[in-house]
Amino acid sequence: MKKRGIGVGCMWYGIGNTGAPNPAGAFLDFLEDGTVLVLTGCADIGQGSSTALAQIAAGELGVNIEDILVVAGDTGVSPDAGATSASRQTYISGNAVLLAARQAKEVLLQEAAGVLGAAASELGLGGGYVWRGGERTPVTVKDILARCRQKGKLTLGSGWFNPLTTGLDEAGQGVPYATYSYATQVAEVEVDTETGKVSVLRLAAAHDVGRAVNPQAVEGQIEGGCLMGIGYALLEEVKVDRGRVGNPRYAEYILPMSLDAPEIHAIIVEDPEPTGPYGAKGVGEPALIPTAAAIANAVADALGVRFYDLPVTPEKILAALTAEGDHKSPDE
Amino acid sequence: MTGQADGKMPAVSSVIGRSCPRVDGADKVTGSALFAADRRMEGMLYARVLRSTVPHAVLRRIDAEAARAVPGVAAVYTAADIPGENRVGIIVKDEPVLVDDRIRRVGDPLALVVAGNEQALAAAMSEIEVFYEELPAVFSPEEAMAGGAPAIHGQGNIQSVTRIVRGDVDSALKEARAVISRRYTTQMVEHAYLEPEAGLAAVVDGLVTIWVSTQNPHYDRREVARVLGIGQNRVRVVQSPTGGGFGGKLDISVQCLLGLAAWKTGRPVRMVYSREESMAASPKRHPCVIDYTSACDGDGRLLAVKVKIVGDTGAYASYGPATLKRAAVHATGPYEVPNVFIESYCVYTNNPTAGAMRGFGVPQVAFAHESQMDLLAGALGLDPFTIRLRNCFRPGGVTATGQRLLHSVGIKETIDRARAKAEELGMLEGKR
Repeated sequence: MKKRGIGVGCMWYGIGNTGAPNPAGAFLDFLEDGTVLVLTGCADIGQGSSTALAQIAAGELGVNIEDILVVAGDTGVSPDAGATSASRQTYISGNAVLLAARQAKEVLLQEAAGVLGAAASELGLGGGYVWRGGERTPVTVKDILARCRQKGKLTLGSGWFNPLTTGLDEAGQGVPYATYSYATQVAEVEVDTETGKVSVLRLAAAHDVGRAVNPQAVEGQIEGGCLMGIGYALLEEVKVDRGRVGNPRYAEYILPMSLDAPEIHAIIVEDPEPTGPYGAKGVGEPALIPTAAAIANAVADALGVRFYDLPVTPEKILAALTAEGDHKSPDE
Repeated sequence: MTGQADGKMPAVSSVIGRSCPRVDGADKVTGSALFAADRRMEGMLYARVLRSTVPHAVLRRIDAEAARAVPGVAAVYTAADIPGENRVGIIVKDEPVLVDDRIRRVGDPLALVVAGNEQALAAAMSEIEVFYEELPAVFSPEEAMAGGAPAIHGQGNIQSVTRIVRGDVDSALKEARAVISRRYTTQMVEHAYLEPEAGLAAVVDGLVTIWVSTQNPHYDRREVARVLGIGQNRVRVVQSPTGGGFGGKLDISVQCLLGLAAWKTGRPVRMVYSREESMAASPKRHPCVIDYTSACDGDGRLLAVKVKIVGDTGAYASYGPATLKRAAVHATGPYEVPNVFIESYCVYTNNPTAGAMRGFGVPQVAFAHESQMDLLAGALGLDPFTIRLRNCFRPGGVTATGQRLLHSVGIKETIDRARAKAEELGMLEGKR
């Protein structure tokens, strides 16, 4: 018999290291042809940080993303940005890049202010032009860059950002993170009571990321996280016998595959973080965190039997159903 | 992106909030991205690590003479060849680059073989003789915490403890309408990144240069410089395109060994883990045992939680202390709880090392606190959404660590939106 169940999982996640300094730095060079070089220590490990950082620099400088080159993770040229961990790089390196861009931009705006007889604070950059009070001026960004160079002014910026936190005291009191991301996932499962197999049919995954710098990348993180969470809930376990890994091969270590992927409905919630770049927080780890909890609750809902140890394998389910049949003891 | 056509300044939103194609997308899709294992250099050598097969032992001696004599072998290095400090670790420097005194896990690195080809490497590996004296080992954190357990790092096996105390849990438990206590256990899992650990090192213009798959090149630089006993400015770490990490590439893997081999031989050296080596040697997700008591009033409002978390960090600390601290801070879930007593223990055993993995201790506690919420809801006849909405943080809410949350507290909206989506899809039909 197949039994259907629904489960809810919520989570929160502090962005950055726990009650410890974890700064990131960035350098930026606004080159005289209007293209931009961003140097960052931030390692893009596939999550898309270099794209997000390019977008943040492009947004601040009013240039196309194609005109930004991000050189990342080369200690020979880029400043330390700390680890790509703790879901911290969009928030922390994003702020560092934003500050570096502002510093370089300020040189241009000061120069443009002289040309236009305006205050630098009235001016902006966009689409290759200098803008004043929302109106395009005839002055181009390239003109300004050329004037800067003629005067021997380089248009460089550097920035670093360290989230405001405190350590935890003896009673564990303090401000361990400057901001938190939040999420709720709802899982729908079907449990085959003959085989014990759990199929995850659908997941609705709502994530408050502050602001999605790149919505498709955020959705990608959420979908990948859900799959990883399915593995954690139902399939994966490193078997260790007297300290030795017994299943160090994918033939024996079972991962979720594309055929295990449910319908995933990623919902981006944007409650902007005032200290984040354009309001952004993070999503890398939150994507995975509530999935196993939601699935475990959905299995309990389907069967009326709750499991307290992960992963919830077919063997455990069959053993529990057999025991329940023997005793008929209500779980909750 | 242009904005000139309508005479308005291009808004920031023309690039922020837009699904721009990935800047590295084309290189990855066309296969032109050069991963560390794809790199080759003139005169390049190959390296492989000989690893321990026992979980706990005193290392007496390594005899590598026969291995060094194998044709094609350039060098066999042991701990004695390390010019600087032979300890690494992101939080605690407790892990040897090559074991010098004690083996603490199966898979500990004992010797590094460097050769001109893979065949010579394999032949040399089997020629190395390792002499050790086995010690009693401990494989469960409960046993490791108990008196009389073999001390893995000289003193007790409790690496770190985090306590979070707020209000008066015992009084709150007495006043509660429903109290639920359960034990939750979670398993060790592997990151399973697509690309196993890999790197190539060479001395270029006097700089020890390492191209490596990593999540933190600047940390790698610090460790390589310390291990070689040279200035950080003499080491250049270049992150190569990295095929996933999920926390598993935050620790040192090939970096220091490659730096040592390139520095000593003066030639480029490459090392690529097989999947099997990667799974046997890399850090894992902490298995946890979580004892969780929750109490609420008749409306389902949380009054107190009491939580004890024990995490098995294996042979070395890696990110364990931070993982267990984060687990403690997040143990309430995204809910306001006036009275808490939370303690978490990071414990050494002779198991594989557990370190950082996506979620950092929070997937473990989320399984527990969310099961508890459903159990409380069941005890009071409440809907799972209702009990969560009654307790979730709002702006102005205070966390277990006493932090007042002022801005960007979107948990309620995520509950509302996920529920609305589930309703729209018909997922809740016949359920509530």
